[in-house]
Amino acid sequence: MSAVIAVTDLTKRYRGVTALDGISFSLAENRIHGLLGRNGAGKTTLMQILTGQHFATSGQVSVFGQHPYENEQVLARMSFIKESQTYPTNLRVTHVLRAARLVYPSWNEEFAQRLVEVFQLPRGRNVRKLSRGMLSALGIVVGLASRAPLTFFDEPYLGLDAVARQHFYDHLLADYTEHPRTIVLSTHLIDEVSDLIEHVLLLDRGRLLLDVEAEALRGQVVTVSGPVAAVQEFARTGTELHRASLGGTTRLTVRGDFGPAAQDRARALGLVLEASSLQDIVVRLSTATDSSTPTPAGVTSEETIR
Amino acid sequence: MNRTLIVARLQFVAWCSVVGWPWGILMLSFLINVALFSTIGDSEDFEPRTGGLVSIYIVMFIASINAITQDFPFALGLGVSRRSFYLGNVLNYAGQAISYAAVLYLLAVIEEATDGWGVNLLFFGLPFLVVDNPVLRFLSFALPFLLLGFVGIAIALVFKRWGVNGMLTLSTTALAGLGGLVVLANWRGWWSVIGGWLADQPGWALLVGWPALLTLPLAGISYLIIRRATP
Repeated sequence: MSAVIAVTDLTKRYRGVTALDGISFSLAENRIHGLLGRNGAGKTTLMQILTGQHFATSGQVSVFGQHPYENEQVLARMSFIKESQTYPTNLRVTHVLRAARLVYPSWNEEFAQRLVEVFQLPRGRNVRKLSRGMLSALGIVVGLASRAPLTFFDEPYLGLDAVARQHFYDHLLADYTEHPRTIVLSTHLIDEVSDLIEHVLLLDRGRLLLDVEAEALRGQVVTVSGPVAAVQEFARTGTELHRASLGGTTRLTVRGDFGPAAQDRARALGLVLEASSLQDIVVRLSTATDSSTPTPAGVTSEETIR
Repeated sequence: MNRTLIVARLQFVAWCSVVGWPWGILMLSFLINVALFSTIGDSEDFEPRTGGLVSIYIVMFIASINAITQDFPFALGLGVSRRSFYLGNVLNYAGQAISYAAVLYLLAVIEEATDGWGVNLLFFGLPFLVVDNPVLRFLSFALPFLLLGFVGIAIALVFKRWGVNGMLTLSTTALAGLGGLVVLANWRGWWSVIGGWLADQPGWALLVGWPALLTLPLAGISYLIIRRATP
Protein backbone atom coordinates (compact mmCIF):
# COMPACT_ATOMS: atom_id res chain seq x y z
CA MET A 1 0.00 0.00 0.00
CA SER A 2 1.43 3.36 -0.98
CA ALA A 3 1.44 6.39 1.29
CA VAL A 4 -0.93 9.22 0.40
CA ILE A 5 0.44 11.52 3.05
CA ALA A 6 4.00 11.70 4.28
CA VAL A 7 4.93 14.15 7.03
CA THR A 8 8.48 14.62 8.29
CA ASP A 9 9.45 16.61 11.37
CA LEU A 10 6.52 19.00 10.98
CA THR A 11 6.46 21.95 13.36
CA LYS A 12 3.97 24.78 13.58
CA ARG A 13 4.45 27.65 15.98
CA TYR A 14 2.06 30.50 16.56
CA ARG A 15 3.09 33.38 18.78
CA GLY A 16 4.48 31.56 21.78
CA VAL A 17 2.43 28.42 21.17
CA THR A 18 3.79 25.27 19.61
CA ALA A 19 0.78 23.71 17.91
CA LEU A 20 2.76 20.92 16.27
CA ASP A 21 6.08 19.80 17.65
CA GLY A 22 8.21 17.93 15.13
CA ILE A 23 5.81 15.17 14.16
CA SER A 24 6.46 12.54 11.50
CA PHE A 25 4.12 9.92 10.09
CA SER A 26 2.67 8.60 6.89
CA LEU A 27 -0.85 7.54 5.98
CA ALA A 28 -1.58 4.60 3.69
CA GLU A 29 -3.94 4.82 0.74
CA ASN A 30 -7.57 3.71 0.85
CA ARG A 31 -7.98 3.38 4.58
CA ILE A 32 -9.91 5.17 7.31
CA HIS A 33 -7.53 6.97 9.63
CA GLY A 34 -8.67 8.29 12.98
CA LEU A 35 -6.98 11.51 14.06
CA LEU A 36 -7.60 11.67 17.79
CA GLY A 37 -6.60 13.97 20.58
CA ARG A 38 -7.89 16.51 23.03
CA ASN A 39 -8.94 20.06 22.24
CA GLY A 40 -5.90 22.05 21.27
CA ALA A 41 -3.86 18.95 20.51
CA GLY A 42 -3.10 20.25 17.01
CA LYS A 43 -5.52 18.15 14.93
CA THR A 44 -7.08 21.02 12.99
CA THR A 45 -3.74 22.76 12.51
CA LEU A 46 -2.32 19.54 11.05
CA MET A 47 -5.19 19.18 8.59
CA GLN A 48 -5.00 22.85 7.61
CA ILE A 49 -1.34 22.41 6.74
CA LEU A 50 -1.98 19.14 4.88
CA THR A 51 -4.62 20.89 2.75
CA GLY A 52 -2.36 23.85 1.99
CA GLN A 53 -4.56 26.31 3.88
CA HIS A 54 -2.01 27.13 6.56
CA PHE A 55 1.76 27.29 6.53
CA ALA A 56 4.17 25.08 8.42
CA THR A 57 6.95 26.66 10.45
CA SER A 58 9.33 23.88 9.50
CA GLY A 59 9.34 20.30 8.28
CA GLN A 60 8.20 18.54 5.14
CA VAL A 61 4.70 17.69 3.99
CA SER A 62 3.91 15.57 0.98
CA VAL A 63 0.42 14.72 -0.27
CA PHE A 64 0.10 12.43 -3.28
CA GLY A 65 3.88 12.80 -3.52
CA GLN A 66 3.81 16.60 -3.84
CA HIS A 67 3.57 19.66 -1.65
CA PRO A 68 -0.07 20.72 -1.36
CA TYR A 69 0.48 24.50 -1.21
CA GLU A 70 -1.09 26.10 -4.30
CA ASN A 71 -0.81 22.74 -6.03
CA GLU A 72 -3.92 22.42 -8.17
CA GLN A 73 -3.34 18.75 -8.97
CA VAL A 74 -3.19 17.86 -5.30
CA LEU A 75 -5.91 20.23 -4.10
CA ALA A 76 -8.42 18.98 -6.67
CA ARG A 77 -8.11 15.49 -5.20
CA MET A 78 -8.79 16.56 -1.63
CA SER A 79 -11.90 17.45 0.30
CA PHE A 80 -11.62 19.07 3.73
CA ILE A 81 -14.80 19.29 5.78
CA LYS A 82 -14.32 21.27 8.94
CA GLU A 83 -16.62 22.26 11.72
CA SER A 84 -15.61 25.92 11.37
CA GLN A 85 -16.36 26.17 7.64
CA THR A 86 -18.15 29.39 6.73
CA TYR A 87 -20.32 29.96 3.69
CA PRO A 88 -21.08 33.16 1.77
CA THR A 89 -24.24 34.55 3.34
CA ASN A 90 -26.15 34.86 0.08
CA LEU A 91 -26.02 31.11 -0.61
CA ARG A 92 -28.77 28.58 -0.13
CA VAL A 93 -28.26 24.86 0.44
CA THR A 94 -28.71 24.14 -3.29
CA HIS A 95 -26.12 26.79 -4.14
CA VAL A 96 -23.53 25.20 -1.87
CA LEU A 97 -24.16 21.82 -3.49
CA ARG A 98 -23.93 23.37 -6.96
CA ALA A 99 -20.62 25.00 -6.01
CA ALA A 100 -19.29 21.67 -4.74
CA ARG A 101 -20.41 19.97 -7.96
CA LEU A 102 -18.45 22.54 -9.98
CA VAL A 103 -15.27 22.13 -7.98
CA TYR A 104 -14.93 18.40 -7.20
CA PRO A 105 -14.02 16.28 -10.24
CA SER A 106 -15.42 13.07 -8.68
CA TRP A 107 -18.63 14.65 -7.37
CA ASN A 108 -21.66 12.35 -7.50
CA GLU A 109 -24.87 14.32 -7.80
CA GLU A 110 -27.19 11.37 -7.33
CA PHE A 111 -25.44 10.43 -4.06
CA ALA A 112 -25.56 14.05 -2.90
CA GLN A 113 -29.30 14.27 -3.49
CA ARG A 114 -29.83 10.98 -1.66
CA LEU A 115 -27.84 12.30 1.33
CA VAL A 116 -29.82 15.55 1.34
CA GLU A 117 -32.94 13.40 1.80
CA VAL A 118 -31.29 11.28 4.49
CA PHE A 119 -30.28 14.31 6.54
CA GLN A 120 -33.54 16.12 5.72
CA LEU A 121 -31.77 19.26 4.58
CA PRO A 122 -34.05 22.08 3.40
CA ARG A 123 -32.72 22.73 -0.11
CA GLY A 124 -34.08 26.24 -0.46
CA ARG A 125 -32.96 27.54 2.91
CA ASN A 126 -30.27 30.18 3.24
CA VAL A 127 -27.13 28.84 4.95
CA ARG A 128 -27.35 31.61 7.56
CA LYS A 129 -30.68 30.20 8.73
CA LEU A 130 -29.49 26.61 9.13
CA SER A 131 -29.19 25.20 12.62
CA ARG A 132 -25.77 24.06 13.86
CA GLY A 133 -26.71 20.45 13.16
CA MET A 134 -27.95 21.23 9.65
CA LEU A 135 -24.72 23.09 8.86
CA SER A 136 -22.79 20.04 9.97
CA ALA A 137 -25.02 17.81 7.84
CA LEU A 138 -24.41 20.05 4.84
CA GLY A 139 -20.66 19.66 5.33
CA ILE A 140 -21.05 15.90 5.59
CA VAL A 141 -23.08 15.75 2.36
CA VAL A 142 -20.40 17.78 0.56
CA GLY A 143 -17.60 15.65 2.01
CA LEU A 144 -19.18 12.31 1.18
CA ALA A 145 -20.55 13.21 -2.27
CA SER A 146 -17.23 14.79 -3.31
CA ARG A 147 -15.79 11.25 -3.36
CA ALA A 148 -12.39 12.91 -3.20
CA PRO A 149 -9.51 10.42 -3.15
CA LEU A 150 -8.44 12.07 0.10
CA THR A 151 -11.19 13.31 2.40
CA PHE A 152 -10.68 15.04 5.74
CA PHE A 153 -13.50 15.26 8.24
CA ASP A 154 -12.63 17.57 11.13
CA GLU A 155 -15.21 17.18 13.91
CA PRO A 156 -17.86 16.91 11.20
CA TYR A 157 -20.88 16.49 13.40
CA LEU A 158 -21.19 19.30 15.90
CA GLY A 159 -24.86 19.60 16.84
CA LEU A 160 -25.91 16.40 15.08
CA ASP A 161 -28.15 14.01 16.97
CA ALA A 162 -27.30 10.34 17.50
CA VAL A 163 -29.52 9.17 14.62
CA ALA A 164 -27.92 11.55 12.15
CA ARG A 165 -24.46 10.56 13.35
CA GLN A 166 -25.32 6.91 12.76
CA HIS A 167 -26.49 7.85 9.26
CA PHE A 168 -23.11 9.45 8.70
CA TYR A 169 -21.19 6.37 9.85
CA ASP A 170 -23.39 4.04 7.79
CA HIS A 171 -23.13 6.05 4.59
CA LEU A 172 -19.44 6.68 5.09
CA LEU A 173 -18.72 2.99 5.48
CA ALA A 174 -21.03 1.87 2.64
CA ASP A 175 -19.67 4.42 0.18
CA TYR A 176 -16.10 3.80 1.29
CA THR A 177 -16.51 0.09 0.65
CA GLU A 178 -17.93 0.73 -2.81
CA HIS A 179 -15.53 3.57 -3.69
CA PRO A 180 -12.35 3.06 -1.69
CA ARG A 181 -10.55 6.25 -0.77
CA THR A 182 -8.41 7.66 2.00
CA ILE A 183 -10.37 9.17 4.83
CA VAL A 184 -9.00 11.09 7.80
CA LEU A 185 -11.58 11.43 10.54
CA SER A 186 -10.94 13.68 13.49
CA THR A 187 -13.36 13.36 16.37
CA HIS A 188 -13.92 13.39 20.10
CA LEU A 189 -16.56 10.66 19.95
CA ILE A 190 -13.99 7.91 19.97
CA ASP A 191 -16.26 5.08 21.10
CA GLU A 192 -18.63 5.76 18.22
CA VAL A 193 -15.97 5.53 15.56
CA SER A 194 -13.76 2.86 17.08
CA ASP A 195 -15.18 0.18 14.78
CA LEU A 196 -14.77 2.41 11.76
CA ILE A 197 -11.16 3.42 12.23
CA GLU A 198 -8.45 1.21 10.78
CA HIS A 199 -5.45 3.28 11.79
CA VAL A 200 -5.02 5.59 14.75
CA LEU A 201 -3.03 8.80 15.09
CA LEU A 202 -3.13 10.28 18.57
CA LEU A 203 -1.94 13.85 19.04
CA ASP A 204 -1.29 15.37 22.43
CA ARG A 205 -0.13 18.97 22.77
CA GLY A 206 1.47 18.96 19.36
CA ARG A 207 3.23 15.64 19.73
CA LEU A 208 2.36 12.29 18.23
CA LEU A 209 1.56 9.78 20.97
CA LEU A 210 0.30 6.97 18.79
CA ASP A 211 0.72 5.96 15.17
CA VAL A 212 -0.59 2.42 15.08
CA GLU A 213 -3.05 0.04 13.45
CA ALA A 214 -6.32 0.00 15.36
CA GLU A 215 -6.32 -3.77 15.39
CA ALA A 216 -2.85 -3.97 16.87
CA LEU A 217 -3.67 -1.31 19.46
CA ARG A 218 -6.70 -3.18 20.75
CA GLY A 219 -4.54 -6.06 21.97
CA GLN A 220 -1.76 -3.76 23.14
CA VAL A 221 -3.47 -2.04 25.99
CA VAL A 222 -5.19 -4.12 28.62
CA THR A 223 -6.55 -3.60 32.08
CA VAL A 224 -5.64 -6.31 34.52
CA SER A 225 -6.90 -6.61 38.08
CA GLY A 226 -6.18 -8.90 41.02
CA PRO A 227 -3.67 -9.31 43.85
CA VAL A 228 -0.84 -6.77 43.73
CA ALA A 229 1.98 -9.27 43.37
CA ALA A 230 0.27 -11.21 40.58
CA VAL A 231 -0.57 -8.01 38.69
CA GLN A 232 3.03 -6.91 39.05
CA GLU A 233 4.21 -10.23 37.67
CA PHE A 234 1.84 -10.07 34.72
CA ALA A 235 2.63 -6.47 33.79
CA ARG A 236 6.39 -6.83 34.11
CA THR A 237 7.00 -6.47 30.38
CA GLY A 238 4.57 -3.65 29.74
CA THR A 239 4.40 0.08 30.33
CA GLU A 240 2.14 1.14 33.13
CA LEU A 241 -0.43 3.74 32.13
CA HIS A 242 -2.76 3.87 35.09
CA ARG A 243 -2.96 2.19 38.45
CA ALA A 244 -5.69 2.09 41.07
CA SER A 245 -5.10 0.17 44.28
CA LEU A 246 -7.51 -0.78 46.99
CA GLY A 247 -6.29 -2.88 49.87
CA GLY A 248 -4.41 -5.84 48.48
CA THR A 249 -5.83 -5.66 44.98
CA THR A 250 -4.69 -3.52 42.11
CA ARG A 251 -6.30 -2.51 38.83
CA LEU A 252 -3.64 -1.72 36.30
CA THR A 253 -3.89 -0.41 32.75
CA VAL A 254 -0.80 -1.44 30.91
CA ARG A 255 0.55 -1.20 27.40
CA GLY A 256 2.73 -3.92 26.00
CA ASP A 257 3.04 -6.68 23.49
CA PHE A 258 0.39 -9.02 24.84
CA GLY A 259 -0.24 -11.87 22.44
CA PRO A 260 -3.17 -14.30 22.43
CA ALA A 261 -1.42 -16.20 25.20
CA ALA A 262 -1.97 -13.30 27.62
CA GLN A 263 -5.48 -14.44 28.39
CA ASP A 264 -4.22 -17.85 29.54
CA ARG A 265 -1.36 -16.29 31.48
CA ALA A 266 -3.74 -13.99 33.31
CA ARG A 267 -6.03 -16.86 34.17
CA ALA A 268 -3.13 -18.92 35.46
CA LEU A 269 -2.14 -16.02 37.76
CA GLY A 270 -5.73 -15.69 38.92
CA LEU A 271 -6.19 -12.26 37.29
CA VAL A 272 -9.06 -10.67 35.44
CA LEU A 273 -8.02 -9.35 32.04
CA GLU A 274 -10.02 -6.84 30.01
CA ALA A 275 -9.14 -5.35 26.68
CA SER A 276 -9.33 -1.58 26.88
CA SER A 277 -11.64 0.27 24.54
CA LEU A 278 -10.11 2.74 22.10
CA GLN A 279 -11.57 5.56 24.15
CA ASP A 280 -9.96 4.24 27.34
CA ILE A 281 -6.64 3.91 25.60
CA VAL A 282 -6.79 7.47 24.31
CA VAL A 283 -7.80 8.86 27.68
CA ARG A 284 -5.11 6.87 29.52
CA LEU A 285 -2.37 7.81 27.08
CA SER A 286 -3.37 11.48 27.00
CA THR A 287 -3.61 11.80 30.78
CA ALA A 288 -0.44 9.77 31.38
CA THR A 289 1.54 12.69 29.96
CA ASP A 290 -0.61 15.32 31.60
CA SER A 291 0.96 16.34 34.90
CA SER A 292 -2.01 18.56 35.75
CA THR A 293 -4.32 15.59 36.18
CA PRO A 294 -5.11 15.18 39.86
CA THR A 295 -3.92 11.84 41.18
CA PRO A 296 -6.27 10.32 43.73
CA ALA A 297 -4.80 8.51 46.69
CA GLY A 298 -3.42 5.14 45.72
CA VAL A 299 -3.40 5.97 42.03
CA THR A 300 -0.17 6.62 40.23
CA SER A 301 0.41 7.70 36.69
CA GLU A 302 3.57 7.16 34.84
CA GLU A 303 5.03 8.89 31.83
CA THR A 304 4.46 6.84 28.70
CA ILE A 305 7.17 6.14 26.27
CA ARG A 306 6.34 5.69 22.61
CA MET B 1 -7.02 28.01 -16.53
CA ASN B 2 -9.76 25.47 -16.10
CA ARG B 3 -9.88 26.03 -12.34
CA THR B 4 -9.94 29.79 -12.89
CA LEU B 5 -13.10 29.44 -14.97
CA ILE B 6 -14.59 27.23 -12.27
CA VAL B 7 -14.00 29.94 -9.65
CA ALA B 8 -15.61 32.57 -11.87
CA ARG B 9 -18.63 30.29 -12.24
CA LEU B 10 -18.53 29.46 -8.54
CA GLN B 11 -19.25 33.08 -7.71
CA PHE B 12 -22.29 32.97 -9.94
CA VAL B 13 -24.02 29.96 -8.38
CA ALA B 14 -26.36 32.44 -6.71
CA TRP B 15 -26.36 34.72 -9.75
CA CYS B 16 -29.75 36.19 -8.86
CA SER B 17 -28.29 38.00 -5.87
CA VAL B 18 -24.98 38.76 -7.59
CA VAL B 19 -26.67 40.57 -10.50
CA GLY B 20 -29.86 41.48 -8.71
CA TRP B 21 -28.47 43.72 -5.97
CA PRO B 22 -26.46 46.21 -8.06
CA TRP B 23 -29.06 46.50 -10.83
CA GLY B 24 -32.03 46.36 -8.51
CA ILE B 25 -30.76 49.28 -6.44
CA LEU B 26 -29.75 51.23 -9.56
CA MET B 27 -33.14 50.69 -11.20
CA LEU B 28 -35.00 51.63 -8.04
CA SER B 29 -32.97 54.81 -7.77
CA PHE B 30 -33.63 55.54 -11.44
CA LEU B 31 -37.38 54.98 -11.23
CA ILE B 32 -37.67 57.17 -8.15
CA ASN B 33 -35.77 59.92 -9.96
CA VAL B 34 -37.94 59.69 -13.08
CA ALA B 35 -41.11 59.72 -10.97
CA LEU B 36 -39.82 62.58 -8.84
CA PHE B 37 -38.79 64.83 -11.70
CA SER B 38 -41.86 64.13 -13.80
CA THR B 39 -44.00 65.51 -10.95
CA ILE B 40 -41.91 68.67 -10.51
CA GLY B 41 -39.96 71.05 -12.70
CA ASP B 42 -41.90 71.83 -15.85
CA SER B 43 -39.61 74.59 -17.06
CA GLU B 44 -37.64 73.82 -20.21
CA ASP B 45 -34.23 74.83 -18.95
CA PHE B 46 -34.44 72.74 -15.80
CA GLU B 47 -32.11 69.77 -16.22
CA PRO B 48 -32.10 67.63 -13.06
CA ARG B 49 -28.85 65.86 -12.25
CA THR B 50 -28.53 62.99 -9.85
CA GLY B 51 -25.73 60.95 -8.41
CA GLY B 52 -27.82 57.81 -8.63
CA LEU B 53 -25.40 56.12 -10.99
CA VAL B 54 -22.89 55.89 -8.14
CA SER B 55 -25.07 53.32 -6.35
CA ILE B 56 -24.10 50.50 -8.72
CA TYR B 57 -20.41 51.26 -8.16
CA ILE B 58 -20.87 51.27 -4.40
CA VAL B 59 -22.65 47.91 -4.50
CA MET B 60 -19.83 46.45 -6.58
CA PHE B 61 -17.30 47.82 -4.10
CA ILE B 62 -19.09 46.09 -1.23
CA ALA B 63 -19.35 42.90 -3.28
CA SER B 64 -15.59 42.93 -3.79
CA ILE B 65 -15.03 43.14 -0.03
CA ASN B 66 -17.43 40.23 0.46
CA ALA B 67 -15.51 38.25 -2.14
CA ILE B 68 -12.51 38.20 0.18
CA THR B 69 -14.25 37.94 3.55
CA GLN B 70 -16.83 35.33 2.47
CA ASP B 71 -16.06 33.72 -0.91
CA PHE B 72 -12.35 33.28 -0.22
CA PRO B 73 -12.71 31.01 2.86
CA PHE B 74 -15.49 29.09 1.10
CA ALA B 75 -13.50 28.55 -2.11
CA LEU B 76 -10.35 27.50 -0.26
CA GLY B 77 -12.47 25.16 1.83
CA LEU B 78 -13.54 23.53 -1.42
CA GLY B 79 -9.91 22.98 -2.41
CA VAL B 80 -9.39 25.92 -4.75
CA SER B 81 -5.89 27.39 -4.81
CA ARG B 82 -5.30 31.04 -3.93
CA ARG B 83 -4.02 31.67 -7.42
CA SER B 84 -7.12 30.20 -9.06
CA PHE B 85 -9.36 32.09 -6.69
CA TYR B 86 -7.63 35.36 -7.48
CA LEU B 87 -7.61 34.86 -11.24
CA GLY B 88 -11.23 33.69 -11.19
CA ASN B 89 -12.12 36.84 -9.30
CA VAL B 90 -10.29 39.03 -11.82
CA LEU B 91 -12.09 37.26 -14.66
CA ASN B 92 -15.38 37.73 -12.87
CA TYR B 93 -14.76 41.46 -12.35
CA ALA B 94 -13.57 42.04 -15.87
CA GLY B 95 -16.66 40.26 -17.20
CA GLN B 96 -19.00 42.26 -14.99
CA ALA B 97 -17.22 45.56 -15.71
CA ILE B 98 -17.45 45.00 -19.47
CA SER B 99 -21.05 43.85 -19.55
CA TYR B 100 -22.29 46.39 -17.01
CA ALA B 101 -20.44 49.20 -18.81
CA ALA B 102 -22.06 48.13 -22.07
CA VAL B 103 -25.53 48.30 -20.53
CA LEU B 104 -24.83 51.65 -18.86
CA TYR B 105 -23.49 53.04 -22.13
CA LEU B 106 -26.61 51.88 -23.92
CA LEU B 107 -28.83 53.46 -21.26
CA ALA B 108 -26.86 56.72 -21.54
CA VAL B 109 -27.42 56.73 -25.30
CA ILE B 110 -31.15 56.11 -24.83
CA GLU B 111 -31.19 58.88 -22.25
CA GLU B 112 -29.78 61.32 -24.79
CA ALA B 113 -32.14 60.17 -27.53
CA THR B 114 -35.22 60.53 -25.34
CA ASP B 115 -34.25 63.96 -23.98
CA GLY B 116 -33.61 62.56 -20.54
CA TRP B 117 -36.51 60.09 -20.40
CA GLY B 118 -38.92 62.87 -21.31
CA VAL B 119 -38.12 64.87 -18.16
CA ASN B 120 -34.65 66.18 -19.06
CA LEU B 121 -33.16 63.83 -16.48
CA LEU B 122 -29.42 63.25 -16.54
CA PHE B 123 -29.07 59.92 -14.75
CA PHE B 124 -26.71 57.69 -16.77
CA GLY B 125 -24.83 60.48 -18.49
CA LEU B 126 -22.29 62.54 -16.62
CA PRO B 127 -22.96 66.28 -16.22
CA PHE B 128 -19.22 67.06 -16.39
CA LEU B 129 -16.23 65.05 -17.54
CA VAL B 130 -17.49 64.75 -21.10
CA VAL B 131 -15.94 61.91 -23.07
CA ASP B 132 -16.71 61.99 -26.79
CA ASN B 133 -14.71 59.09 -28.15
CA PRO B 134 -17.06 56.05 -28.00
CA VAL B 135 -14.33 53.61 -26.95
CA LEU B 136 -13.13 55.92 -24.19
CA ARG B 137 -16.69 56.57 -23.16
CA PHE B 138 -17.29 52.85 -22.82
CA LEU B 139 -14.09 52.50 -20.81
CA SER B 140 -15.09 55.42 -18.60
CA PHE B 141 -18.01 53.29 -17.44
CA ALA B 142 -15.88 50.14 -17.09
CA LEU B 143 -12.65 51.29 -15.43
CA PRO B 144 -14.19 52.73 -12.26
CA PHE B 145 -15.76 49.28 -11.70
CA LEU B 146 -12.35 47.66 -11.86
CA LEU B 147 -10.72 50.31 -9.68
CA LEU B 148 -13.33 50.03 -6.94
CA GLY B 149 -13.26 46.23 -7.18
CA PHE B 150 -9.52 46.11 -6.62
CA VAL B 151 -9.58 48.75 -3.89
CA GLY B 152 -12.16 46.56 -2.10
CA ILE B 153 -10.11 43.41 -2.62
CA ALA B 154 -6.91 45.06 -1.41
CA ILE B 155 -8.49 46.49 1.74
CA ALA B 156 -10.27 43.24 2.59
CA LEU B 157 -7.05 41.29 2.03
CA VAL B 158 -5.15 43.50 4.45
CA PHE B 159 -7.82 42.63 7.02
CA LYS B 160 -7.77 38.93 6.08
CA ARG B 161 -4.04 38.64 6.38
CA TRP B 162 -3.11 41.02 9.19
CA GLY B 163 -6.40 41.35 11.05
CA VAL B 164 -7.53 44.40 12.97
CA ASN B 165 -3.95 45.55 13.56
CA GLY B 166 -3.37 45.56 9.82
CA MET B 167 -6.47 47.65 9.24
CA LEU B 168 -5.46 50.12 11.95
CA THR B 169 -1.98 50.42 10.50
CA LEU B 170 -3.37 50.90 7.02
CA SER B 171 -5.88 53.57 8.06
CA THR B 172 -3.33 55.35 10.27
CA THR B 173 -0.84 55.43 7.43
CA ALA B 174 -3.48 56.65 4.98
CA LEU B 175 -4.66 59.33 7.42
CA ALA B 176 -1.14 60.53 8.17
CA GLY B 177 -0.20 60.50 4.49
CA LEU B 178 -3.26 62.37 3.23
CA GLY B 179 -3.30 64.73 6.21
CA GLY B 180 0.37 65.49 5.64
CA LEU B 181 -0.29 66.28 1.99
CA VAL B 182 -3.15 68.62 2.90
CA VAL B 183 -0.97 70.45 5.43
CA LEU B 184 1.81 70.64 2.88
CA ALA B 185 -0.55 71.98 0.21
CA ASN B 186 -1.91 74.61 2.62
CA TRP B 187 1.52 75.66 3.75
CA ARG B 188 2.96 75.99 0.25
CA GLY B 189 -0.26 77.42 -1.19
CA TRP B 190 -0.60 74.66 -3.81
CA TRP B 191 -4.36 74.48 -3.90
CA SER B 192 -4.86 76.72 -6.93
CA VAL B 193 -2.23 74.75 -8.83
CA ILE B 194 -3.90 71.45 -7.87
CA GLY B 195 -7.33 72.77 -8.78
CA GLY B 196 -6.04 74.02 -12.10
CA TRP B 197 -4.35 70.71 -12.84
CA LEU B 198 -7.57 68.80 -12.10
CA ALA B 199 -9.60 71.17 -14.26
CA ASP B 200 -7.12 70.73 -17.10
CA GLN B 201 -7.41 66.96 -17.03
CA PRO B 202 -9.67 65.70 -19.79
CA GLY B 203 -12.66 63.58 -18.73
CA TRP B 204 -11.15 60.38 -20.06
CA ALA B 205 -8.00 60.87 -18.01
CA LEU B 206 -9.95 61.08 -14.77
CA LEU B 207 -12.34 58.24 -15.64
CA VAL B 208 -10.07 55.92 -17.62
CA GLY B 209 -6.41 56.83 -17.44
CA TRP B 210 -5.87 57.42 -13.75
CA PRO B 211 -8.15 54.55 -12.63
CA ALA B 212 -6.21 52.20 -14.91
CA LEU B 213 -2.90 53.44 -13.50
CA LEU B 214 -4.15 52.86 -9.95
CA THR B 215 -5.81 49.51 -10.68
CA LEU B 216 -2.67 47.84 -12.03
CA PRO B 217 -0.46 48.20 -8.92
CA LEU B 218 -3.42 47.35 -6.65
CA ALA B 219 -3.98 44.15 -8.63
CA GLY B 220 -0.32 43.24 -8.30
CA ILE B 221 -0.15 43.97 -4.57
CA SER B 222 -3.39 42.04 -3.97
CA TYR B 223 -1.96 38.99 -5.71
CA LEU B 224 1.15 39.08 -3.52
CA ILE B 225 -0.95 39.42 -0.35
CA ILE B 226 -3.41 36.65 -1.21
CA ARG B 227 -0.64 34.15 -1.90
CA ARG B 228 0.19 34.07 1.82
CA ALA B 229 -3.30 34.72 3.20
CA THR B 230 -5.08 32.05 5.22
CA PRO B 231 -8.84 31.50 4.99
